[in-house]
Amino acid sequence: MPSRRPPFLWLLDKECRELIVSRSWWVLLLGMGPLVGVSFISAVHTYAEVSGLNGTSAGVGEALSPLTGVWAPTFSACELAAVFLLPFVAIRLVAGDRQSGALKLELQQGTSSFARITAKALVLTAGWLIAMLPPLSSILLWKGYGGSVYPPELATLAMGHVLNAGLTIGLAAAMSALTEHPSTAAILTLAVTVGTWIVNFFGAIQGGWWERAAGYTPAAMVAEFQHGLARLDTTLAALVLIAAGLALAAIWMRLGVGVQRRVYESAAVGVVAAAAILACTLLTPSWDASESRANSFSRPDERVLRRIHAPLSIEVHLAPEDPRRLDLEHHALSKLRRIMPNLQVRYISSTSIGLFEQTRAGYGEIWYDLGGRRAMSRVTSAEGVLEEIYSLAGVTPPAENDETIFRGHPLAAPANGAGVIFYAVWPGLVLVSGILARRRFK
Amino acid sequence: MLFEVNGLSKRFGQIAALSDVSFHVRPGELLGLIGPNGAGKSTLFECLAGVMPSDTGAIRAGGRALRSRERSSILFYVPDGIAPWPAQAVGWALDFTVGFLRGRADLRDEVVDQLALAPLLDQPIGTLSKGQRKRALLGIGLLTHQPALLIDEPFDGLDLRQARDIAAALRAHAARGRTLFLSIHQISDAARFCDRFILLSGGRVCGEGTVTELAALAAAHDNSKTYDNLEEVFLALT
Repeated sequence: MPSRRPPFLWLLDKECRELIVSRSWWVLLLGMGPLVGVSFISAVHTYAEVSGLNGTSAGVGEALSPLTGVWAPTFSACELAAVFLLPFVAIRLVAGDRQSGALKLELQQGTSSFARITAKALVLTAGWLIAMLPPLSSILLWKGYGGSVYPPELATLAMGHVLNAGLTIGLAAAMSALTEHPSTAAILTLAVTVGTWIVNFFGAIQGGWWERAAGYTPAAMVAEFQHGLARLDTTLAALVLIAAGLALAAIWMRLGVGVQRRVYESAAVGVVAAAAILACTLLTPSWDASESRANSFSRPDERVLRRIHAPLSIEVHLAPEDPRRLDLEHHALSKLRRIMPNLQVRYISSTSIGLFEQTRAGYGEIWYDLGGRRAMSRVTSAEGVLEEIYSLAGVTPPAENDETIFRGHPLAAPANGAGVIFYAVWPGLVLVSGILARRRFK
Repeated sequence: MLFEVNGLSKRFGQIAALSDVSFHVRPGELLGLIGPNGAGKSTLFECLAGVMPSDTGAIRAGGRALRSRERSSILFYVPDGIAPWPAQAVGWALDFTVGFLRGRADLRDEVVDQLALAPLLDQPIGTLSKGQRKRALLGIGLLTHQPALLIDEPFDGLDLRQARDIAAALRAHAARGRTLFLSIHQISDAARFCDRFILLSGGRVCGEGTVTELAALAAAHDNSKTYDNLEEVFLALT
């Protein structure tokens, strides 16, 4: 009598077992403890020093936001693990079937390859969520020290790292299915990751399209989430890339389909994914989930800016590597784009570093054009930019309101117990669980 | 007729692995695919099972050509030399076959008994010897529900006693009406076990039929000789 359990549940069960017996997953779990421990302990230590521990002078403001001071560095362990450890777990799970010959048996069942790769992706995501337990447990420790926790920014940060892991899984799955051997898949996966770093590098020094493309690399995406910013375009672009990677994997897992047809199907996936990503880039909604509103102007400023409907264009004569351009972009223009989606920004420079352009007339100028009225300024601070816009629009700047300023959450507490948990308890737990689980599932 | 194969061809670059292969398979028969190493036996089975694309050709059943996906309704292929799910126990693999591959739960105990798999049920497949792995793979194949079972080298890696026991087990399943299509490179093994044969050499079918029919075919090629065993027939026709 045939089994009543649907084939998909059998696949999930099989993939869970394969994950549990996979050494690479246990290594990932084991490594997460010390990685998070180092990051968390040093972040808490620095945070305490800035807050006035051991007689140091207390700081104020954004430096004492737990998001940037503690959570971003603590969760950066996830980024490292997603780049250097997770690909091997994913490759083992996807390529293992082909290597062992199990794929030839399973393909004869008739379940679609898309269902098969979905089962693998779901189990890998679950495996990644378990690997994220150490950084999540650091939240409890922080609360225990008396630290402040703002759930929306933490949820945004965690979502960024889950999306980043999803990208790694999609990429590794595609490479595993495309190549004959897992080691080739590993090399190609790391090569693509390094490729995105190169795009980031070129984006930083060349500007233009490189800079635009760099905004959609995993590292840039994670950086935004680390600042508590959830952008719809990057989130959807990441989801499209994950789906494209898994679709490619599904296409190339169908050993019985001719190579030429698989190539055509892959090209179609590529075209559809590129079109979808292009469409995603046109979406402008974003959410600043940070408690410090690090990605937004103050609420009164935003209210005034929303009332300005004339088209605004800004021409910036600064080179990509000029620190003033970075200041302007991060502290003013990125916030302005969120409020004024139709803002046009043009960067103009003849060189990438700008060092030899300083003497050129016009270098360093920032030209504002609001509905035909033009003004020039050289100020790159957020206050300076807002002042110019208000002046051109002929609106009164909002009155300064101290209550809206984020004062931070200073905490001068040592990271008691964190070392024991991340260097001893977690690795011990992983080792014991690993031995027991591998015995149970073999 | 359970199914027929018409004009199946497969090339790997310049090498023609299969050229215009045609034959038919009857229900409940023990059909042997014999040929030397490199004849294209495994390639033929993989193309039939739809785990390798063929360049041309069709499999027909019930008067119509079957699409690749539909083949799983009539045949199941057990490859040679694989160690599927190496970290999982043999018992789990049999359960997975019954569950995921929609195999026959009612045959599980019988198959375990016939193939002497009981001592191996808790052993991971990756730790089994070649012969043990072969028995586990045969167990997986025998539990599947398809009317035709294609097995690549069923006796490879087995000692004499095991080969005899497994031959008896396969016969028992064939006696219940299951078609067994076995790729065997040892012609003496094939001659002992199978009812009918397909001779494959250089990717071409050189003959199809019983020993008597093939001997007649060989004799027609060479009028001066008579053939009374499969080895001589094979040498004459390939």
